[in-house]
Formats: sequence, C-alpha cells, structure tokens
Amino acid sequence: MQPAGPSEQITNLFGDYLQQTDGSQPGRHDELSFDGSTRAHWQHLLEEFSALGREALTARSEEVQSLLHENGVTFNPYEDDPGQLRSWRLDCLPCVINMEEWAHLEAGLQQRSRLLALLLDDLYGERNVINEGLLPPELVYTHPGFLFSAADSPSQLARPLLIFHGTDVIRDQQGQWQVLGDWTQSPSGVGYALENRITLARALPGIYRDAPLKRLAGFLQAQHRCLAGLSNSRREQPNIVLLTPGPGSPGYFEHAWLANYMNFPLVEGDDLVVREGQVSVRTLGGLDQVDVILRHINDPWCDPLELRPDSLLGVPGLMQAARNGEVHIANALGAGVLEHPALAAFLPELSRRLLGENLILPCRDAVWCGDADSLVKVKHTLDEWVLRDITKPGKLFHVDQMGLEAVQLLRHDLDARPHLFTCHKAIYASATPGFNPQTKQIERQQTTLRFFSLVEPEDIKLPVPEQRYRVMPGGLSWVGQPGTPLMKSRVVKDIWVLADSPQPHISMLRQAHGPILVTRDGKDLPCRVAESLFWLGRYGERLDIRARLLRESLGKLLIEDTQHGSTTLLSDLMTALGVAPDPEELPELLALISPNQRYSREYILARDRMMTLLSDNDPQALPTIFSHFVRNSRAVRDHLGDDSWRAINNLRQRCGAMSRAKGVVAGQRLLESVVIDLAAFFGLCNETMPHHYGWRFLDIGRFIERLLGTLELLKLALLSAKIPGIPLWEVVLATTDNFTVYRRRFRSQLHPSAILDLLLFDETNPRSIGYMFKRLQRQVSRLPSQGSSSYRNLENRLIIQATSALHLVDIDMLANLEHSEEAREALNNLLDELIEPMTALSNAISHSHFSHVEPPRQLVTMNVSPGLEEPRSDQKQTATGGKQ
Amino acid sequence: MIYRIRHLTRYDYSGPATLSHNEARMLPRELSWQQCLDYEFTISPAPIRLRERIDFFGNRVAYFSTEAVHRSLEVVVTSQVQTSSRPALDIFSTICWEDAVSDVATALRTGNRDCIDARLFILESPFIRHQLSLAQYAEDCFSSGRDLRDALMSLNERIYDEFTYDPDVTTTATPVLEVLATKRGVCQDFAHLMIACIRALGLPARYVSGYMETLPPPGQEKLLGADATHAWVAAFIPGWGWLELDPTNGSLADERYIVLGWGRDYADVTPLKGVMTGGGEHELTVAVDVVPVSDSDHQLI
Repeated sequence: MQPAGPSEQITNLFGDYLQQTDGSQPGRHDELSFDGSTRAHWQHLLEEFSALGREALTARSEEVQSLLHENGVTFNPYEDDPGQLRSWRLDCLPCVINMEEWAHLEAGLQQRSRLLALLLDDLYGERNVINEGLLPPELVYTHPGFLFSAADSPSQLARPLLIFHGTDVIRDQQGQWQVLGDWTQSPSGVGYALENRITLARALPGIYRDAPLKRLAGFLQAQHRCLAGLSNSRREQPNIVLLTPGPGSPGYFEHAWLANYMNFPLVEGDDLVVREGQVSVRTLGGLDQVDVILRHINDPWCDPLELRPDSLLGVPGLMQAARNGEVHIANALGAGVLEHPALAAFLPELSRRLLGENLILPCRDAVWCGDADSLVKVKHTLDEWVLRDITKPGKLFHVDQMGLEAVQLLRHDLDARPHLFTCHKAIYASATPGFNPQTKQIERQQTTLRFFSLVEPEDIKLPVPEQRYRVMPGGLSWVGQPGTPLMKSRVVKDIWVLADSPQPHISMLRQAHGPILVTRDGKDLPCRVAESLFWLGRYGERLDIRARLLRESLGKLLIEDTQHGSTTLLSDLMTALGVAPDPEELPELLALISPNQRYSREYILARDRMMTLLSDNDPQALPTIFSHFVRNSRAVRDHLGDDSWRAINNLRQRCGAMSRAKGVVAGQRLLESVVIDLAAFFGLCNETMPHHYGWRFLDIGRFIERLLGTLELLKLALLSAKIPGIPLWEVVLATTDNFTVYRRRFRSQLHPSAILDLLLFDETNPRSIGYMFKRLQRQVSRLPSQGSSSYRNLENRLIIQATSALHLVDIDMLANLEHSEEAREALNNLLDELIEPMTALSNAISHSHFSHVEPPRQLVTMNVSPGLEEPRSDQKQTATGGKQ
Repeated sequence: MIYRIRHLTRYDYSGPATLSHNEARMLPRELSWQQCLDYEFTISPAPIRLRERIDFFGNRVAYFSTEAVHRSLEVVVTSQVQTSSRPALDIFSTICWEDAVSDVATALRTGNRDCIDARLFILESPFIRHQLSLAQYAEDCFSSGRDLRDALMSLNERIYDEFTYDPDVTTTATPVLEVLATKRGVCQDFAHLMIACIRALGLPARYVSGYMETLPPPGQEKLLGADATHAWVAAFIPGWGWLELDPTNGSLADERYIVLGWGRDYADVTPLKGVMTGGGEHELTVAVDVVPVSDSDHQLI
C-alpha cells in the first residue's frame, strides 16, 4: 500500500477526487487515496481509466446500462406490473481489494461460515449452546427462522447443513472490516455478481481482459459439484431443481439466470409434489423425481403441513421428504435462524467456545435488548439507536427520526417483549470512488459488499466440524449508507480481488460446464412451463393481430375524409377492433362531442375510440395484452434465449410509450415497431428454442390465436360489415400481411372470391387457414400422449374435424358472395364450423397437458394470532391471472 | 390403572380428495408414570407412507400420506395404557412464587438446566400472546409471597368456578381475551387462558393434550370434557418439576389423565392435521372411549 504520485492523465480524471479532501467526514478511510496519493493497488486501474478519459468513460457507462437493460437485469420489488421493474446502474469503477486484504477477509469469511455451520448443527441437535447458557433460549426460540419441526430428537439423520453463506461486510471509517449480517437461507446476489462481471468485461474489454484479478466462474462450478454431491441418487445425473417463489418475487431475475446458467429446471411450488415420500416435478411426461432442491423460498413458506399453514408457495410434505433423506435441500430448512441479528452480540464468545478461535472479522456492535442490563442502557439513550424487531426482518426503527407517538409505542413494545429487539448505532463506511455519468465526476460513496462462501465440494459428506469453505473471490457491492438493502440501492458495483498475475480466463459461457449438461425440454418439461409457453404464444399473436389491425385502421383514419366521407368504414373498423360504441348510446355519445371545422363528430368519436387501445388502463388495450404476454414470458424466463429477451425488452419500451403517443401518426409508428419486434421475437424463438415440446406449445398457442383472429376478421369483412367493400378488404389483406401476395397473384382489383382462396384454401400461404391447420396438426400430433391408445385423442379429432369442414366445402356455393344470400349463408356456416373446434382445441390442450393444481387445503384451520411472524417472501398470488 | 382407549377421527369430504399429507399426534407418550402397553394405528384409506418420529417436545408423531382418491379419511388409534400416580408434591415443591420467577429468570447465570429448558414455555406462542389484562386477572391468586403451588391451585379453581363449559361457543382457536371476556369455552380455551395467565407473570406453563377417564366414580358427579380429547396445563415449579392442573375440572391431574403430548399450545400438539388436494368442504367426527380395564381383564388379553 505504498502511495504513488499521480501522473498527468490521472490528474485529469481523478484530480478533483485526489485533491479535495473528504469534507463531510475528515479522517475517513479512503479506498483510493491516502494522504492525497493513490494507494498502490489502485494505481494500475487508475491509469487504465484515466487513459480512457472522461468522455469515453461516460460512453462506456451508457453502454453498460444498455447491456444490462437488454439482458433484462431487473428485480421486481413485489409489483406485478411489469412497468414497475427496476434496474440499477452498474458503476464502471469496481471496488478493489488487494491480495493482503483479501487473505484477511477470506480467512475471516471462512471462519464465519465454519462457526455458523457448527452453530446450526448444534441448534438443531444437542442444543448445547442453549443448555450451557451461551445463547438465551428466548433469543433462539422467538426467531421465525428457528423451525421447531426441523429440531427433532438429536439422533435425527439429516442435520441441516450450511452449504451457501452470504455475508454483508463494510469497511468502517477507521478502515476496519465489519460484518453487518448474514444470509443463510438462499443468499442472493451470486447471479448479479456474475452478470455484472460479464457486462463490464464486454463494455471495458481492454481493462478487464488483462487485469490481474481473480475470476468468478469457478465458484458456480463448485456450487454445482456441491449440490450434485448432496444427492444419494444412484442416477448418473442427479436431478437438481431451483425452487423459486415465482415471477412476482423480487429476485426472480436471478433465479431464472442461475437456473439457466447452472442448467437446472426452474420450478415453483406448484410444480413439485410429494408422492410415495419422494419429491417430483409434474412434467408433460408424468412425475420426474427430484434429488436436490436449490431453494430460493424462505424457511417458513416451504411446507404448509409443518410450517406456515397459509403458504401457497411451498410443497406439502417437503420437510418429511427431507427428513427421510429422500430429497436434499440447500440450504437446509431451518438455516434461517442464523440470520438472527442478535447473534452478532454472541458470536465472539461462541467462536471461542465452538471453534477455540477468536473471531477474525468483528461484527458491527449490536445489543440484544433481552439482556436486562442492555435494556436499561438502550432505554436511557433510545434516540441514539437503530432498533430491529427480530420477527420482522428488514424493518428498522430509526428512533431519532420517529414521531413522539411512535416512540411511545416502541418503548411499550420494548418493555413488553424486550427479547424481540436488537439495536445498533448508525455507522458510516469508508469512502469508495464511483463514477457518476451524469456529472462525469468521480465521487466518494459508501458501499456495502456481499461475499459468498460455499462448502468445499469434496467435503460435502464429511461431518460438519471437518467441512471447509471456499469464498468467491469477488462479489456484489452496492452504494448507500450501511444498512441500505441491496434491493433498495440504485447503484451496484463489481468487486475486484487482485491476483499477483493475470488470471486465466475461465469462459463464462454456458457450454463451459461441458460434461454436466443434461438435455431437457423433452418430456421433463414442467406442465406449468408448457402452459406459460402456450399462453405466451397466444398473447404474443393476439398482440400482433391487434397491432396490425390498429395500424391499418389508423392508416385509414388518416386518409379518410374527415368531414363528410363515409363513416361506415370507420364503424366497421371499430367493430373489428372491439371498440364500437353501443348503437343505443351512439347518439348520446356523439352529442357530447363538439365538432369543429375540420372534423365531424363521427370522425372524432372513431379516432378517440381507436386511440383508447393505446392507453394503459383499458382491458382491451395493447399495453394490457402486452402485460399478459410479459407475465407469461417471465414465468419461462429460463427457456427464452438472450436475444428473444432483448426483443421483449424492446417491446416493453414501445408498449410503455403507447399511452404517451401524441396523435395518430405517432401511434402508427409505435405499432409498426411492435409488429417488427414481435416478428423478431417469434423468429428468434423458432431459431433458437430447441424444437421440443416447449417450442411446440408456443407454436400451437400462436397458431390457434392466429386462426381465431383471421377467421373473425374474415367473418366481419365478408359477412357482417355494414359495407363490405374494397377499403375494408384492403385492411384485411394488410392485417394478414397478404397485400403484396394478392397483387402479385391476381393482378386485379380486390375480389371476395380471390380473398377467400388466398386466406382460406391456399395451403402454401402461411397466413391461410389451410396452412395453419396443417401446422397445428403436425404440432399437436407430436405432443406427448398419455397412454398408448390407438384411438386419436380429442385434440387430433378436433383438428381433423375443422380440416375436413374446410376440405369438404363446395367452392361453387361460395361464389358470388356479393350478390347471393345463399353463398353468404354457406360461408357463415363454414366459418362457424372452423371457429368452434379451434376454441375447443385450446381447452382440450389445456385439459390434457397442463396441471390443474388446486391450492392445498388444511384439514384444521387455525387462526394463529397475527403478528408473530411476518411474511418475508411474497405471498403468491393465487390467481393465475392472465391465463384467461 | 390400565385403560383401553379408542380414539377415532374421521373427516368426510364433500368432494374427492386426491392427495393428503398428515401428521398425527395421537400416540400416548412414554412417561415415568405412564406406559403404552400396546397400540394399533388404523388409517383408511390405507396410507402409502407411515413414519413415526419424536418431535422437538418429545411427543410421538406419525406422518402419513394417502394418495388414492378418497372421500373420507379415518384414523383410529386403539391403545392400552397403564398409568400410576404422578410424583407427589413434597418439600421441594414449596417455593414462593416470586422466588420461582427469579429462579427461572436467572437460570442462565446459575446454570440450572431445568430452568433453562422451562424458559421456552414463558414465551409467546402461536395461540398465546402476552397481555397485561391476564396478569391482572391472575393477581388475586398470586398475592405477594404466596406459595407457588397454592397460587396455581387457586388460579385453577378460580377458572373452574368463574367459567362455564360450553362446547357451542368456541371454534378451535378462540382468542384468549375473548374467552376471558365471555367466561365460556371448552377445555382447550381454559388451558390456553390459564397458560397465558401463568406466563404473563413470568412463569413457564405448557399445554398438555390427552384424555381422561369418562366414567364417574360411584356417587360423584360426571366430569366435563370427557367424551373427547382433553387438554390441561402443566406449570413449572423450580426445583421440583411440572405440576399438571386441569382448569376445566378445577383439579390436579391424576391417574385418570392420559397424556398424548405437550407443547407451547394447541398448535404444537394438534391431534391430527393435514394438507390435501381437493376434498371441498369437510365434516369432522371425533369419538373417544377411555375404558378402565381391570387387572384380570388385562391378564386375559
């Protein structure tokens, strides 16, 4: 850490930072500078960034942001509305840790993991720490993370293991590392850490490629070995699944990312079932046994039989399966007790007693109010403290910022239940440099760092005291005062752990796992995923049809005579779009509109009605359809390629901008882009998704929707329109993207018979009904079938029924549509004969292939008194909204 | 005494249930004054899995799952249990109640293992929250310097005197304060109330689930709460142990009380709980018979 003099370039970019002393906190430890000079381990990085210069760094920052955006790196703080997804800014400047410091940190983190693992083993075993008075019983037993049902007799087979461990650390103003807290259920952030590293390496290849910094990819490979090592399965490839609360949970992006990276099926509680004591995934091919569950659901929500009875996220019978060793859960259920904030006050002594070592990394000073002396002290100086209620993780009471009444209430609670409170004093972190692309300045920030440790894969079957841990040489860091939760931070940073020489680049690509790849997407596809893909196809196609129809309608609006001309076309278009006013209300509605010189009342009404389809809160509007589309896409996040996801992100921008579109032309332009983005999305799906069952369900959903949409459109244009005429037929052809084809083929004016030929019967035209039937038949016949009946199933019969109706129609009967009432009736009958089986097909597929899981019910309903436990994870929405 | 016990629990569903996972705490616990001579566990439809274990509180738990489509679930436990007198109160059970509070409170310093263990049962639990009004209700019985045993028995009798046994007023989970206000309830409610009062004073108390003999001795009044499962209270006397009191009958537990298990409250020892798929609405039937077996009968078996 020898200070070095600043070079000229460095002065340009970092000059202000180095010269200005830290006004707010004089004497505060600074990660970058020391007595106005640069710390040695920053020198190299400083030169690299300075050589880049201020402007280039700003440009790179923007690139980083767009890469994050394209990859959909978002988290969802519980809002279901996709517009509410937040993403953070990733700073180009990492936190840098030199080798010396890392050696200290690594040893401290490993020790902490070993200590917590021993404590966990004891708490769910002999409980010596309680019996010998090291930990007060009321500290342990009141924490929602202590699971009585995981603490059977000490002789139980499956003791809970601490496999992964996340630790939040800061460096204080004096330069000392301090631990803020632990994550022991399902530490989140590994996925973000890797994604950040990948993103920065793409945006700053020159700096990252040759930097002597430790690589991260090996850690996830070790994690994979750990999980595989847990399994007792005799199968060659243990079946490991990642259990998520679902797309509504804040960490869903990471769950999907990890599932994808590690090649684990991403499952929700509904996908799993315990039968014959074993845990299985409900898949298209039946039940598929699970050996290991990497869970991202918090303890109390995992099993409604033995834990919270009101949980809809969990799997009934899961604890029993784990108890019998039929399935292994990482981290084990019950590990949440280690997240107890009051443990900090007891760890130094526990370390001496359990490990025989002094704690290497000190914990932030914490006081447990259950201790009578501490309580007196805290109550005397209450407004100097930040209090936490241990039953409400994440909730902080900043006494100095609370009103008089709230403080009174808190004092009352503190007297009544002192053992439920811990407190600490606000602390400040050292200054870390960060680049602010807005001001283009390097600024001083406070950061919290999260590190991750893992049992050495080779030690996974050893007794707990012999297990060693490895620490990921890097992690995730975020900006904010110590105590700011990760999810509330606006800016995240990479953590560089320096090595003495450039490290071999371990490919981050998914193929890097080589031998551990197992194929999926076959019959082992979870039913829920198949269902979401089906609806993704349907909503995507619905969005496409509506966007095209609206685009054409707005086009007609622009060329329509605004004062006199036929308003009939507009009225037919409103009917097609489903926004036609009730004829009885029409006069009243028109009376409300004040016409002007340029526009007639009818015209204004039609325009306003059409534009409502771009608004946010109309149930028929395009943004609403998009929100259904995106909800289903998030549920299958791990099945879509990165590029498809970029297309979705583009769509999100367009659909988000719709309600702000000013005027018809702007709306038309947005719709144009939506059509192109959707084509890109489906094209990419066709190109990149394996043509297994998952893709087939997507395709089936899409073509059922397209069939129904096209048939309805034909019915309107040829039969029920007020004036079926050329302008309307043009819209039909343009909506189905057949205008050019028509002109090239018929070189004539539009004629209904020719339209029918092109759109109904021509099986070479991908937009024709005939083609769509053929495609559906091929897809449906290749779906997995239950049993081996030689009879055709309902789905196939329905397609045959519809196809036959089309093939058997007497073409001559349909001629002369414009003048013959008989022909019109014949066409009407035909279209009905096609629509009806397709509607039934959708239901039949849903019935045969999708799981219809009812929420589990309790035999005994107990109204447990409220307030003892607060949900930490979100309660799953029971409605499967968006699936019609 | 030897008792033959038959405990039937039956759920009739309005619709078919496809899968159910259950936990039964219906097997008598082994105690120094209670031995389970034999038992039979019959579940219909036949379970796919049946596993027994000992839970955190030392109770016997049977986990079972049923996977066939079923419209009813019937669990019958028949057992033969021998009981003898519980340990008698003696010189060691004499302690003034304030001293008892302080013994438990200082247990971590003194290292008294029994007191440390007992502290779990002072804490709030799913059904029992600390309330000031409960401590006030108990105040009359816990006058300053009073012997803990006397105070407990006086509270026990007070609840028995002031409260009306009324099986119609409560569901499984009546809040304790509501019971205090209406002065009506069943054994479970009185047990919860009494535990809440004892805990409010800083003393450990736990919930005991079990049965009691139904046939009244000749010439005596028939005891209440007998034709079903029963619940009572065990309060901790430092230096002696757990004293079992039955506020529903205003008495101490004796040979006629058969213990299934204990916990912090009803939630820990629910006799039969389960999670199922389907089933719709359900109707519950519980029937319990506790029949004393004479020694000669026993010889014949």
